[in-house]
Amino acid sequence: MAHHANTLPHELDAPAFVDAWRTRALITGAIASVLGIAMGFLAHDDWEHFFRSWLLGFIICFGFCIGGMAMLMVQYLSGGKWGLLIRRSLEAMTRTLPLVFLMFLPVGIFGASLKKLYIWARYPNTEDALRHHLINAEQAHAIAFKKPMLNVVSFWWVSLLCFAIWAVYTFFLNRWSLQRDADTAPNVPYWQTKFENISGFGVLLYSILLTAGAIYWVMSLDPTWYSTVYGLQFLVGQGYGVLALVILTLIGLSKAEPMKTVFRITEQHDLGKLCFAFTMLNIYLAFAAFLIIWSGNSPEEIPWFLDRIRGGWGVIATLDVMFHWLLPFTLLLSRDLKRIKSRLKVVCYIMIFARCWDMFWLIEPNFADARRNLHMSIGILEYCVVPVALIAFWMAYYFTQLKQRPLVATNDPHLAEILEPEHAHA
Amino acid sequence: MPVREGTYGLLAEFDTPGELVRAAKAAYGSGWRRLDCYTPYPLEEAAEAIGFHRDEVSLVCLLGGLLGLAAMYGLETWISVWGYPLNIGGRPYYSWVAFMIPAYEWTILYAGLSAAFGMLAMCGLPSLYHPLFNAPNFRNGATNDKFFLCLEADDPKFVLDEARKFLEDQSPVSVVEVEY
Repeated sequence: MAHHANTLPHELDAPAFVDAWRTRALITGAIASVLGIAMGFLAHDDWEHFFRSWLLGFIICFGFCIGGMAMLMVQYLSGGKWGLLIRRSLEAMTRTLPLVFLMFLPVGIFGASLKKLYIWARYPNTEDALRHHLINAEQAHAIAFKKPMLNVVSFWWVSLLCFAIWAVYTFFLNRWSLQRDADTAPNVPYWQTKFENISGFGVLLYSILLTAGAIYWVMSLDPTWYSTVYGLQFLVGQGYGVLALVILTLIGLSKAEPMKTVFRITEQHDLGKLCFAFTMLNIYLAFAAFLIIWSGNSPEEIPWFLDRIRGGWGVIATLDVMFHWLLPFTLLLSRDLKRIKSRLKVVCYIMIFARCWDMFWLIEPNFADARRNLHMSIGILEYCVVPVALIAFWMAYYFTQLKQRPLVATNDPHLAEILEPEHAHA
Repeated sequence: MPVREGTYGLLAEFDTPGELVRAAKAAYGSGWRRLDCYTPYPLEEAAEAIGFHRDEVSLVCLLGGLLGLAAMYGLETWISVWGYPLNIGGRPYYSWVAFMIPAYEWTILYAGLSAAFGMLAMCGLPSLYHPLFNAPNFRNGATNDKFFLCLEADDPKFVLDEARKFLEDQSPVSVVEVEY
């Protein structure tokens, strides 16, 4: 008995205030860029920290874009009302791929080709470098041994292949979604099968490509170390960040139609629970990796953690656990918090901040001047502005994409369900 | 303990959850506080309608979890540091990293058990007798397809005739008086 069922609002486009969000993001991005470039000049470190912090910003934006694509495919596979609600936001995230690719180019050009970031690119001739004490014996051995994989040509080929495949997926996932909405309701099973087929294989492909990307772009900063769970940690991290961002988007949009009607407390609660699951999965993987390496105590693996704990880094690591797990976990335990928009928003901001904090902890200690030696410099301050600039510009582009389509996909059987009043009396 | 006698309450039967919730809201709105709803499946609206907003099970669950955490972490620390210190691969006696997993397991175990048993205790279970089972329609319908609202006699507002009139105004299927 669906009495008092809500009607779908006539206006399904993004409300006008999204333009204001975009303006705000652009202003933030512009200010942060000016500061970032100024600090780059002031730092006198040959722009080293600028590109490290650029890498951080790129990885976060990349996580939103490609993580959004993964979440989009997962919701096609799992079905459910939550998926219908966030579908258009996720599509908007995937369509930021061109910008994310532009952000990648400096990483590839300056980081790998011009040898600013990656030690294996800087010293391909390990014997010479070892003789001049530019690298130590372990690094020389690792770089020489991993040469077939860690060289500039493979780096570019793998990266371009990843982006090419993701571009194909972005194109079809977005195109079919519009075609499906233009189609009639009886054809829905056809589209569901079609989306399931592309998504099932897509999720598998995504995990493989993401692992490759995570290894080349971040893990290879320290070629002596490896971890088989690394790609999976990035995967979970992307889900974590994307969920936080999508909840923030929906809460922001719910000030006006159509989300005001469509985004019910029930689904907000569900998304909050999903966040909680990702929070647990994230600490589970991170702690499992730490526990195994700690127990093994092998000289091949343990230095990676010692680089990130000793010399002041322990403070960053402890705060990482607090931001990434302790705070979201304890807050999300509360049922009320997940149902109150203003409070859930705070948790989502903490979660996105935690992603950046974690990435700082992963990236900066790879470099000789910073490992086991956390010290203040203009370079460290660059981490506070360059990623902000990148993320702000990414947000602006995301909001632009959000305005391109109606916010609710209409040709879906779940639409009737989200229009029912909450706690419908059977 | 003396045997309680007299009227336990007035029991109204409804066919649909919607009617029950409406009647429960009306009763709560007109000042009834000692009342309860009985449904064959969980119905959050019914709980909300009679002013039952939160329960203490989550608190018991949290306290149980913290107790489990403290118990296991304390046990491991005592064993490894004071009770039976062993040198395992040269690692420190107090190896908090290795203690985390059992401590985590006990947190889950204690939290789960406290939630389950705490819920039973707060529901007053196990209970061998409940006056409502004296009503035949309750026996047959409460776990099947009927929805019940009971105004209990220990409510200060309870006057038999007025209570009956109030319930009959809510157009129930029937209103019966239930004895202890």
